[in-house]
Amino acid sequence: MRENLLERMLFYTGLCVTFVFILAPVTFMILMSFSKNPDFLGQSFNFTIRHFYEIIYTRSLHFPEYLANSLIVSSISALISTAIAGMGAYAFTRFNFPGKFILLVGILALSMFPQISIVGYLFRIMAGVGLINTRTGLVLPYTAWVLPLSLWILISYFLQIPGELDKAAYIDGCSPLKTMWYVILPVASPGLFSTLLLAFIFSFNEFMFALMLTTDQAARTVPVGISLFQGLHGEIPWGSIMAASTLTTAPVVILTLVFQRYIIQGLTRGALKG
Amino acid sequence: MNLFEKSFLYITITLLSLLTVCSKPDNKRIVLAVGGAPSEVEFWEKIAAQCTEQTGIELQLIRQPTDTDQRRQNLVTALRAKKATPDIFLMDVAWIAQFAGSNWLEPLQPFMDKHTISDTSFFESVVKQADHYDNKLIALPVYVDGGLLYYRKDLLKKYGYEKPPETWNEFIDCAKTITEKERQKNKNFVGYVWQGAQYEGLTCNFLEFAGSDKPGIVIDSSSPIIHTKRNIEAATLMRDLIEPYNISPQNTYTDMKEEEVRIAFQSGNALFERNWPYAWKLHQSEGSAVKGLTGVALLPHFKDGRSASTLGGWHIGLSRFSKQKDKAFTCIAYLLSSEVQKQFTIQLGWNPGRPDVYNDSTVLQIMQHAPILKEVFNHTVVRPVVPYYSYMSAVIQRYLNAVLSGKIEASAAFIDCEKELQEISRRYSK
Amino acid sequence: MTSLKRSQDSRQYSYDWPWVTLLLGPGLFLLCLLILIPVIGTIITSTNRDITFMDGKWVGLSNYAELFKDTAFRQSLRFTISFIAVSVPLELLFGLGLSLLMNYKSSFRGIIRSLVLIPWAIPAVISGRIWELIYNVNYGLANYIIEQFGFEKINWLGTSSGAFWAIIIADLWKTIPFVAIILLAGLSSIPETLYQQAQIDGASFFRRFYSITLPLLRPVIVVALLFRTIDALRIFDLVFILTSGGPGGSTTSLSQLGFKYFVGGDFGYGSTLSVIIFLCALVLSLLVIKFGKFSQEAI
Repeated sequence: MRENLLERMLFYTGLCVTFVFILAPVTFMILMSFSKNPDFLGQSFNFTIRHFYEIIYTRSLHFPEYLANSLIVSSISALISTAIAGMGAYAFTRFNFPGKFILLVGILALSMFPQISIVGYLFRIMAGVGLINTRTGLVLPYTAWVLPLSLWILISYFLQIPGELDKAAYIDGCSPLKTMWYVILPVASPGLFSTLLLAFIFSFNEFMFALMLTTDQAARTVPVGISLFQGLHGEIPWGSIMAASTLTTAPVVILTLVFQRYIIQGLTRGALKG
Repeated sequence: MNLFEKSFLYITITLLSLLTVCSKPDNKRIVLAVGGAPSEVEFWEKIAAQCTEQTGIELQLIRQPTDTDQRRQNLVTALRAKKATPDIFLMDVAWIAQFAGSNWLEPLQPFMDKHTISDTSFFESVVKQADHYDNKLIALPVYVDGGLLYYRKDLLKKYGYEKPPETWNEFIDCAKTITEKERQKNKNFVGYVWQGAQYEGLTCNFLEFAGSDKPGIVIDSSSPIIHTKRNIEAATLMRDLIEPYNISPQNTYTDMKEEEVRIAFQSGNALFERNWPYAWKLHQSEGSAVKGLTGVALLPHFKDGRSASTLGGWHIGLSRFSKQKDKAFTCIAYLLSSEVQKQFTIQLGWNPGRPDVYNDSTVLQIMQHAPILKEVFNHTVVRPVVPYYSYMSAVIQRYLNAVLSGKIEASAAFIDCEKELQEISRRYSK
Repeated sequence: MTSLKRSQDSRQYSYDWPWVTLLLGPGLFLLCLLILIPVIGTIITSTNRDITFMDGKWVGLSNYAELFKDTAFRQSLRFTISFIAVSVPLELLFGLGLSLLMNYKSSFRGIIRSLVLIPWAIPAVISGRIWELIYNVNYGLANYIIEQFGFEKINWLGTSSGAFWAIIIADLWKTIPFVAIILLAGLSSIPETLYQQAQIDGASFFRRFYSITLPLLRPVIVVALLFRTIDALRIFDLVFILTSGGPGGSTTSLSQLGFKYFVGGDFGYGSTLSVIIFLCALVLSLLVIKFGKFSQEAI
């Protein structure tokens, strides 16, 4: 019994510490975005929504454009990479072909390449085809960048689908593509959904590619926009930065909280397999 | 076609067309890249609108970050990708050589001739030292910066000094005397604050300490020389100010950058300050402890030398990849006109690159120290004008900072430093 | 993990190369074009003098030789290694603790699981900015708390040691949840009956942890460790935002240094650095593959 009590006490202490450690920075961000003065700690808090108004309506800040770029680029990348990964996962789980294992491991290794070892030359390729500072120029590398992860998650989902299901269709003369579309995809839809979510979040949060491959609001994404948001000689407009951060964080966090189960599933599958 | 094949096709088409819609073509506007504080960028926006009105050319702004390195990265990306925009942009004086050496800047002389603008309208020494590369004019000054000595008029007077010291010996005597007395009342009082943290500002400060007719770092026949008697003397003095003279605070080499220095002086805790001209306006602002008590002078020098200010500031350049160079230069000419430059001075407290603005009566009214500034800008020393300067500066900063912290003697530091600099120079010279 | 072990013969069609090509083609094409080719290109660039303000020429391995003389490289190598050595063990330690909390049966289970995802989901740049604000000397949360306890303010980002710990703490905030989620998966695959049996035998809480949880969790911990090491090796965003490598270059990570060379116009040397980071990551990812329990019959 005493053992049980100790365990409980440990649990609740841990719980409190975790809550505070995780939530304090987020709360601080939100408070700052609504505060007139950045030094409200220990002083009075003056509520204002001016910062939000500013970042949305000050044209030269281009925040809405950055946000739009981010949303467009990450949704398209997520869609394409999930589609391509779905096809790939189908091939890996349903066909036997030589070099399969090596190929899979190779793709896994690709996903662990440091971005810095790609970005310099990628810049050159994109400059060569004139895609610097275009959304296309971001969608392409993002799609490739999240592809290995998407592939791994989907392979693990597809593996769980009993073979009898689609083999029957195949024998009935359905082409593999049709089988995939009509038989596998409906069953694997939760897996597809978590892949889509994860791919979206990964692209949305990406920084280095966007930093090197964009030059202005025509394609610049929110993370880069926020990182470059500054004042002169140390006077940083904290209120506006935190307002922008809050607005940017909100959709991702809501998405994450609502679809918590899918994300945890996807993450563990992607991670444990890879 | 069955449903599956149809939807597959449509998805593919939609995705592809979305992709192509996403890339916008360049348009007919002239694009100007500027950065800085929000108030500055807002002012630039106003100026851009004026420019469009006056010249009929649509001038669009790209807002860049404030951080100098990030601004450079941003431009390097665009220029290396040979993008047609931005057409014109502001450059820190320290990167002009890199940009010019990379052949990204259009020579301006032909356009100047066409517009009958003479480069003598600008500070001659500035244009000569900073805006030429391979004997070609490739940039023009928009905003000139130079190191200044700020001093407490009231304290100098109180202790019987009529004017700020001119040589380092006088300076040390004066600072020691006053600091010792003032410290009895205010424990935090220090004699001299300057930029000693390991960053670009340290190199600038060093060049001023070492300043004479010759710059402190000489690059002769592509071999940098830094191990000179004068440089050792200068670096030793920098260290001595901290220890044993106790005139500059201990945190000089860990914390002191522009803002830390400005705040120390502005809170009334320092007798002398080395800073850029921007500090003036802030020292004179409401709530400043030194409002009305601040004087500006040339920086001190060694007995056999002369005062030197490291040249800083922002210069405007025209991209070689611009598709509308003529129109772009018209905008440059407008932005650099006496009228517009006067507005920058009055509204933002900037120091324009044109001497004539400093004689204007309105300008003189709000910038009483304009005559001194003008003199300072005729005493500027430049940082080495080589494309690989940023790599060199990183090395110099590291050694100087070690000297300031007392980890190494100046002369030993410069022997090693020179070796590393020569290594860099060998690597980056043709 | 369990599904991998099942025999899959029944599910697979025979080798049908047109379909395999069609299905795998687009993905492989993208990966080759946008990841593999750039990496090869970077390796080629690293053997060239490729500087914007100079003529290019092939220089063999001389860029690599420069690395050994380069103090900035040594400094950033030192920083990156210390960062890995400090952050990864802490992440694993706290991550393990958090995963135990997440696995503990209570009415808070659902909330905890949602909560830990928040730091993970917030873009690194934004969390970097939040922490930059927290570390602000004058009105940041960190110094406010420190002052409440009666200590002196700390110049977090202005001193080398302050900046180092500032980066570590901000990094922990973001990565502990990720580690915890991975470990949680391992925890939940440990059969409940084992614990029940142990409890009947009178094993204490800690004893159960040491003799059941840890050994069974070991493979997952190894994978998490390697994963986090690879990630820590390439740290960029957080450093870029919090310190840009300062003060005095003391927190310049390898990625940050490579980036600096790209910006300075020296693509050849920047690529050389990138290749070094790449090689380290490659070795580590081979280890992941070895320890990740991959086997031929997996698929």
